[in-house]
Amino acid sequence: MSDFGRIRSMAARIRRERLFGIRMNIMLPILILFLPGMAWGFSDPNIILPGGHQPSTAMEVLFYASLGVVFGATMCAVLLSFDGVSRDRASGMLEVRLAQPMPRQHQATALVLGYLQSILIPVYGLMVICLVIVRIRMGEWTNLEETLVYFVSTGLILLWYTLFALLASTTAKEQGTAVAFGVGVWFFFTFLWALVTTMVAYASGVAVGEANDPAWVALEGALDLLSPNGVYHHLLETQLPTVDRGVPVWQTWAAAIAWTVLPWWALQRRMEALVP
Amino acid sequence: MAEAVLSFQDAQHRHKIPAPRWSKPWAQRLGPGIVDLNLKLYPGSILGLVGPNGAGKTTLLRMMAGILPLQTGTVTERIKSDEWTQVDDLRTWVGHMPEQVRWQGRTTVRNILLELGEMRELQEARIDGLLNLVGLQHRQDEHLDNLSQGMRQRLSIAAALLGSPKVLLLDEPFNGLDPVAAQAFKELIQRLAKKGVSIVISSHMVAQLGGFIDRIGLLHRGQLLDEGPLEDVETRLALNGRYTVSGPDNIDLDQHLKDINFEHIELVTDKDGWSLTFRGEPHEVLQTLLSNDVILSSWSPVAPNLVEWLCAATGMDVQDISLEVASSALLPMRTKEVGEDE
Repeated sequence: MSDFGRIRSMAARIRRERLFGIRMNIMLPILILFLPGMAWGFSDPNIILPGGHQPSTAMEVLFYASLGVVFGATMCAVLLSFDGVSRDRASGMLEVRLAQPMPRQHQATALVLGYLQSILIPVYGLMVICLVIVRIRMGEWTNLEETLVYFVSTGLILLWYTLFALLASTTAKEQGTAVAFGVGVWFFFTFLWALVTTMVAYASGVAVGEANDPAWVALEGALDLLSPNGVYHHLLETQLPTVDRGVPVWQTWAAAIAWTVLPWWALQRRMEALVP
Repeated sequence: MAEAVLSFQDAQHRHKIPAPRWSKPWAQRLGPGIVDLNLKLYPGSILGLVGPNGAGKTTLLRMMAGILPLQTGTVTERIKSDEWTQVDDLRTWVGHMPEQVRWQGRTTVRNILLELGEMRELQEARIDGLLNLVGLQHRQDEHLDNLSQGMRQRLSIAAALLGSPKVLLLDEPFNGLDPVAAQAFKELIQRLAKKGVSIVISSHMVAQLGGFIDRIGLLHRGQLLDEGPLEDVETRLALNGRYTVSGPDNIDLDQHLKDINFEHIELVTDKDGWSLTFRGEPHEVLQTLLSNDVILSSWSPVAPNLVEWLCAATGMDVQDISLEVASSALLPMRTKEVGEDE
């Protein structure tokens, strides 16, 4: 079996274990509520959003429905993988695995792929349902490029949160620390980032929360590159011609690459130095 | 004795522990671990690695298993009678059975071995052979949650044997086993030794290893104080040739034994009788006592316990040893080396 075959096989085992585990049974209703549920709500022809805005295209509906990914799917990614390493460490299995002559970097890659697949498969399934719902409610499909960006960017944000949770898991000596770290990072970027943005805006003399103030929009757009959720929305916004927050597309993709490469590299380094 | 197969020279691994300073909050320093390990492993031998809690037994086994990297020193394998080559990855050489793996989950015995086998690129037939070897062939479809402690230990040893290792490391394998399971486990290990596997087995219970190991290594504060064939180490540390003889009546033993050359170690007398521990020729002592019509209740050789081993190897008394174990056993005995960040 090749190196890739071994990685694939280990990832498949993790995927099977998590995909059909109790946690997934608990999370699936949440995901259904947050993904197709939001797509259904935002595609209502009579919906009026705060500010009097009405979504007019399929991609716009999916953009608003992506809140379900940010609030629901990322949390599920964290809750699936927060004990990816710490559970094995607590049971002694980590020592057994590290004693096998499979390079630790390959083991780390298998962990990431396994946990990512276990959240990606149900989320992608539900996203396809979202597309169908939008088609039925609005009579419109998203075009190929929009669909591609929608799926790739969602895959990326789930990868980032999976990486954060696994990194936390390598550091934690017990489960409580692992879950606190993973959920803490999720909470920070999902709920507290607005506070960070506001504080920076206030300190920079920008009128806080003025949606029509170009300075506020530019600052918020720039700061969003420092948050995985912000980068996710920037990626989706590349398919919304009416939205311009002053961030070039290349910067958005560069930030996406940085959010992918840096935590992945950190996880590989952690795995190399891991002590059971 | 066959020639050594694997040799560790001046091997060291010390844990890094946080030592924050104002100028460098993330600073670390070298803490406890294994220092200057020189050890040769022989095919078919069972090396008992004994030491108190915190002596570094688990760290040493993890280092030998390739889980913890060598910070200094080398590991070499014998390829011909006088030709050695450096070992790049110990994990291909060594099978490691950690202490108390809690095999759990709804996966089966067979599947978990298949999974670990894939990490070693093994064929499925090898798994079947291993299940037979460790006596789990009838339990291969059992869920891990349903295994008894004895079965879990057997599964652990099967996992350690996956790569057909030349060296098998067992960390406190008797913990949690009942006497029947422990005996069966010992027989399994002896079978493996007969197949030529070099076995290293750690324990802080020397009595458990009695009559079972043929070499012993004394570990204390991260250092291998002495290592070799059991009889040789006993002789070096003057712990060999000790016997206890006891009898029911209070008699003047010195009077009876005054003409015999032996080392009087300890005489205990109480209302139930007497007990003499000595070093010397047992036949001569026994013959003399019996010829003087002294009634004997028992006689037996005395095996040294862990405390005696350690006292003899370190030159310290039991109080000092116990204080060290309780307070500073994790600190290596030798701490200062040139260029080392202490």
